[in-house]
Amino acid sequence: MKLLLSLLLTLAASAQVRHEDVAQSPGTDWLTYAGSYNGWRYSPLSQINAATAKNIVPKWVYHVPGARGLRSSPLVYQGVLYITSGNSIHAVDARSGRLVWQYADPRAKEAGPNRGAAIWADKVYFTTSDNYLTALNRHTGAVIFSKKFADVEKGTTSTSAPVIAKGKVIVGSAGGDGGMRGFVMALSADTGAELWKAYTVPAKGEKGAETWGNLLEWGGGAAWLSGTYDPELNTLFWTTGNPWPDYNGSVRMGDNLYTCSLLALDLDTGKMKWYFQFTPHDTHDWDAQSWPILVDTEINGLPRKAVLHANRNGFFYALDRVTGEFLRATQLIDKITWAKGIDDKGRPLMLPNSEPTPQGNWVCPSVKGATNWMGQSYNPGTGLLYVLTLEQCGMYYRSSQEPQPMKNFSGGGATEEGGQVILRAFDPKTGKRVWEYPMTGLGRMWTGTVSTAGNVLFSGDDDGHFVALDAKTGKNLWHFNIGETLGASPITYSVDGKQYVAIASASAVYSFGLFEPASGVEAPVIQFKTN
Amino acid sequence: MRALFPLAILALPLLAQHGRYLSDSNNPAIGDPVAIAAGTKLFMGSCAGCHGPDGGGGARGPNLVRRSLWHPLSDDAIFQVVRKGVPGTDMPPTKLADDQTWNLVAFIHSLTGPASSNPVPGDPAVGKAVFWGAKAGCGNCHAIRGQGGSMGPDLSNVGGSRPLAVIREGIVEPAKDLYYLGNEAATVVFKNGQTLRGVAKNRSNYSIQLVDTTGVLHLLQMNDVKSLTLSASTPMPTDFATRLSKAELRDLLAYLAAQDTRAADAKGSPQ
Repeated sequence: MKLLLSLLLTLAASAQVRHEDVAQSPGTDWLTYAGSYNGWRYSPLSQINAATAKNIVPKWVYHVPGARGLRSSPLVYQGVLYITSGNSIHAVDARSGRLVWQYADPRAKEAGPNRGAAIWADKVYFTTSDNYLTALNRHTGAVIFSKKFADVEKGTTSTSAPVIAKGKVIVGSAGGDGGMRGFVMALSADTGAELWKAYTVPAKGEKGAETWGNLLEWGGGAAWLSGTYDPELNTLFWTTGNPWPDYNGSVRMGDNLYTCSLLALDLDTGKMKWYFQFTPHDTHDWDAQSWPILVDTEINGLPRKAVLHANRNGFFYALDRVTGEFLRATQLIDKITWAKGIDDKGRPLMLPNSEPTPQGNWVCPSVKGATNWMGQSYNPGTGLLYVLTLEQCGMYYRSSQEPQPMKNFSGGGATEEGGQVILRAFDPKTGKRVWEYPMTGLGRMWTGTVSTAGNVLFSGDDDGHFVALDAKTGKNLWHFNIGETLGASPITYSVDGKQYVAIASASAVYSFGLFEPASGVEAPVIQFKTN
Repeated sequence: MRALFPLAILALPLLAQHGRYLSDSNNPAIGDPVAIAAGTKLFMGSCAGCHGPDGGGGARGPNLVRRSLWHPLSDDAIFQVVRKGVPGTDMPPTKLADDQTWNLVAFIHSLTGPASSNPVPGDPAVGKAVFWGAKAGCGNCHAIRGQGGSMGPDLSNVGGSRPLAVIREGIVEPAKDLYYLGNEAATVVFKNGQTLRGVAKNRSNYSIQLVDTTGVLHLLQMNDVKSLTLSASTPMPTDFATRLSKAELRDLLAYLAAQDTRAADAKGSPQ
């Protein structure tokens, strides 16, 4: 039986990843950063379930060479797991954790983190910190092409996993805290050639430019997290980062479009269908980077094609994803001091003494935000959305210096004081909290979630434990002390009919499965033959 | 210069241009042709006796070129080694002035930097024909940017990652490299009698990760394997020094030296 399975695996391995495969993902494979185009981080696998989770054991560990703070969520295709680190990608046997191949680009001009790869046809893709899109043969790691899509000299770096839809590789842009002009770009999956580029900050004279001062060309609005995609609407949903300089808004009076926003972009042309700005004229570094999750559900009593978004500014939003209409906002966290709520148009109702000042103002949430880029999960079985939240406040300061782009200048600073990470389950229909799982730690984790048809929710504690919770109740089922900070989101996959759950810690990838008694391995006859 | 090759490798850095490399220093001598030329003279006079005229190593001194592959030193670290020597070994301290020492470091840097960052003799267009032609047959096993075979290492970035001397050595003395793991030619016979041939990208007592002769990856478990036959030496032919003419080898090296995934970047062009 074992032999049969392995031969079946080898036979299947020559297949190519097609658009419909990604569109139907995840099944046994995990083909895109969030598992699916709709951003759910949800798997139909159920071998590991609320009843069997007590038998989870580690299956293997792959130590990523030189890694110290992995942010990468793995992909899995036909038994191979792909994990990225800064300027490198590693293909690992997903059953054994053994390295198949690795590719590194040590000449990259930046050494930033990387959040993951993409897969299409017989190629895997990742971006270097200095904006090369590199495509490699998924079997051998051989380079197919490596193309520069943006200039690191203009303040742009690359950290996010590309999204591939209909043969287009969609990449974002990072670096908004140092001054740059954000964009989302589409490149050909076959050649890396540019297809379109959509800036997140308008050029002089364009609509929206009137919401800025003179800093337009360095205005930020980085798009440093992957987005989601609705094949039916042929629309990409991409979030944008803060305006620059982060803390000094006096040099960029106005709403600063399209920063801290959600953009709906046409996949074929990059044309903006609509936008929604969560935090106009942000001065707290509250990027909108958090998943736009696409769910068809009832909101305020009406069925909607909704996009859900848990924002760093403390509110949990629901919008109509066809029109961009604001539907509702509820509190993501308990302590919000800068706004007393969101009005019926979706604009925050500001409270005084919330702006950064030379003396500082105490504001909740903190600069890290009520949530951040940690991967959320929507589970259609429980009907719940799982969000990592942070109850934390801090001081916000403003400096009066002249803004200087690309010199780590952010116009002030902020502190993060105390606080607690709480994993919360929300009901998208009401925006209300259903259960919560408080964690122990210092508010330093960046772990996301994955949930399954087995009614299990996997995430990481703020103190380095990998945990399994009952997805309906939030009750803890299992934990494992990985022993170092967790900064990436877990995934789940299946090989040979066995389910695995994998997560990158700071330095390694761990894969877990259900306990099986060990069986000895009979060594074959190994001969060495001279040519 | 063409006629002198391959003995002329040591002369190449005389013309070297500065290429971006991990160990770049801000010292102006690095990449400066005049400094490199001065450093070459110093190297020939004081260093070549032990390290070989091309830095390839000798009876008393290690191979500086190959060593840079797995233990790269920064320019500043090389400066300190030249200045202070290596206590407890035959490598003595020197009393060279700072600028002279930097000239020497500039020479060593150019010797050990990626081939694509140095001008090389030969015609890369002719070398391309050699690479893909039947006589050398390189493309049967090696790929460049998605074209070619899967049995040998990918060469898309060989010029951007290897010094010229190392590339040359890999062609004329492929068996010299002891790191076959990851490149072993393997024949697997399964317990059911089926056979699979290819290259073992990795293997342990428990599993093998094998790319077959058509370029398809297979993930195998040792419990399914009856016997495994592995090449005892490199699967690469070892007769290229005689199979190819000197001119062919020179042009082939020029072609390989140009293989750099960042070549466009070096020219300052976005594509």
